[in-house]
Amino acid sequence: MQSILLLFIAMLLAPLYAAWILKIKAFFGGKKGPPLLIHYYTLIKLLRKGSVYSTSTTFLFKMGPLVSLTTAAVALMFVPIGGSPSLFSFHGDVIFVLYLLGLGRFFTIAAAMDTASPFEGMGAAREAYFPIICEATLFVMLILFYLLTGELKLSAYFEGLQPLRFWHTAGATLLFVVIALFIVLLTENARVPVDDPATHLELTMIHEVMVLDHSGPDFAMIELGAFFKLFFYSAFIARLIFPFTMGPLAADVALFFAILILIYGIVGVTESIMARYRMDKVPQFVLTSFALAAFATIITLEYIK
Amino acid sequence: MTNPVETLLVLVLLSVLSALGSSRLPSLIKVLSFQGLVVSIVPLFMGHEMNTGSIIFTLVTFLIRAFAIPLYIYVAIRRVAIRREANPIVGYHASLLLGLVLIVAAIAVSPKFNLPMPQGRPLMLPTAVTLVVAGMFLIMSRRNAIAMVLGYMMMENGIYLVGTGFSLRAQHIVEFGILLDVLAGVMIMAVILQHIKQAFDSLDTARLTTLKE
Repeated sequence: MQSILLLFIAMLLAPLYAAWILKIKAFFGGKKGPPLLIHYYTLIKLLRKGSVYSTSTTFLFKMGPLVSLTTAAVALMFVPIGGSPSLFSFHGDVIFVLYLLGLGRFFTIAAAMDTASPFEGMGAAREAYFPIICEATLFVMLILFYLLTGELKLSAYFEGLQPLRFWHTAGATLLFVVIALFIVLLTENARVPVDDPATHLELTMIHEVMVLDHSGPDFAMIELGAFFKLFFYSAFIARLIFPFTMGPLAADVALFFAILILIYGIVGVTESIMARYRMDKVPQFVLTSFALAAFATIITLEYIK
Repeated sequence: MTNPVETLLVLVLLSVLSALGSSRLPSLIKVLSFQGLVVSIVPLFMGHEMNTGSIIFTLVTFLIRAFAIPLYIYVAIRRVAIRREANPIVGYHASLLLGLVLIVAAIAVSPKFNLPMPQGRPLMLPTAVTLVVAGMFLIMSRRNAIAMVLGYMMMENGIYLVGTGFSLRAQHIVEFGILLDVLAGVMIMAVILQHIKQAFDSLDTARLTTLKE
């Protein structure tokens, strides 16, 4: 019951947090920025509209947004929000969740290819390329967490005081894991410096270009899925940078959501002070995350021997 | 791994990776400066008996390694206005991955050396070995002469780290002698490079083979 409630709150708040990034960016630009509830307004507006489908598309095009939203929502169910037990948890769910997100990505790519637009194909190619390196990073992190806990459960890594135990055994190297995870967050969610969610030039876009042809409720689903995905990655970083628990669950959850404000704020600051990388520089940036994660794993291996 | 030495050594290893991945000479110099800074303060945390003399030696080493040499090279590249690219033979991505492989190999190999390293410092020798080999790799894989000098500095950092492990009395004097050699070497190299640059308008070592009388 409690985990269902928490999940519900998390899903409800995900668009609000995304709007917080916009607020930060507006602050750096010297503007007032859109209201914090902007994403809710947008979602409601989109849901009330009708969808337009090109005659050249097939059922795949209609499936894309649906699958990407559901996979992101299901992935969120495995997240121990604020260190409390997650809704679902089973042995090996880490791999399941990673490939669940992969499935969502596959259908987004398939829907983009289905439109037969050359721009969308270009975005799809990039979207397929960069997450491959992210996946390598995430799996190296999994190896590290598995070595430290001996478990293959997402909740076993991030529940209760376990993150604090990571800091005790792995020490400073865990900082590299946090940075690597942050880079993965930026890449997977198509943020600056990998991709610019605000740009409207198809040539430079990765994620946005793939969803150009979606409209109305379909586009709302894609947006919501993106908010969930951003929340998904931020939740882990929040648990890692603030591993303490206060005791009462309400305090833990409140602190968790406060830390999330900080993390989204950092994303906003990163977007404000950095320019997007040239396309051929992006793999190097993402590869840095892999190097950091692998490095942390190697060093930790030396210690727990 | 709560003790400061291990944290410093992790930073050193990280600087090796970023040195292998950085493409611009100024950023490479900054990384090497940072590395020199970290490496030279390691002895202060080793828990050896330190008298005034050895503290002064350590501090002077620190100043030379972290500031004097990098600053000198930086001024040198500003003055001769050479190309800022490191001109790699092996690409940056490959170098980065190779750096990771080097660290793994160093950790695997270093127990076989049987050196009398201090107890409870499992990263000391692997870091030193990584520095030496990565420095050698930097010399081999970059065509720009300044990048080669920086690789040489990285090797020297590794040798210094090995020396730090032994708590010998004479260590500081030997180290200091080596460091002065390196400083002189760097200065001579900078002057030579300046002359090469003036005469041939390039510092690409691949083209130095065409030199004639």
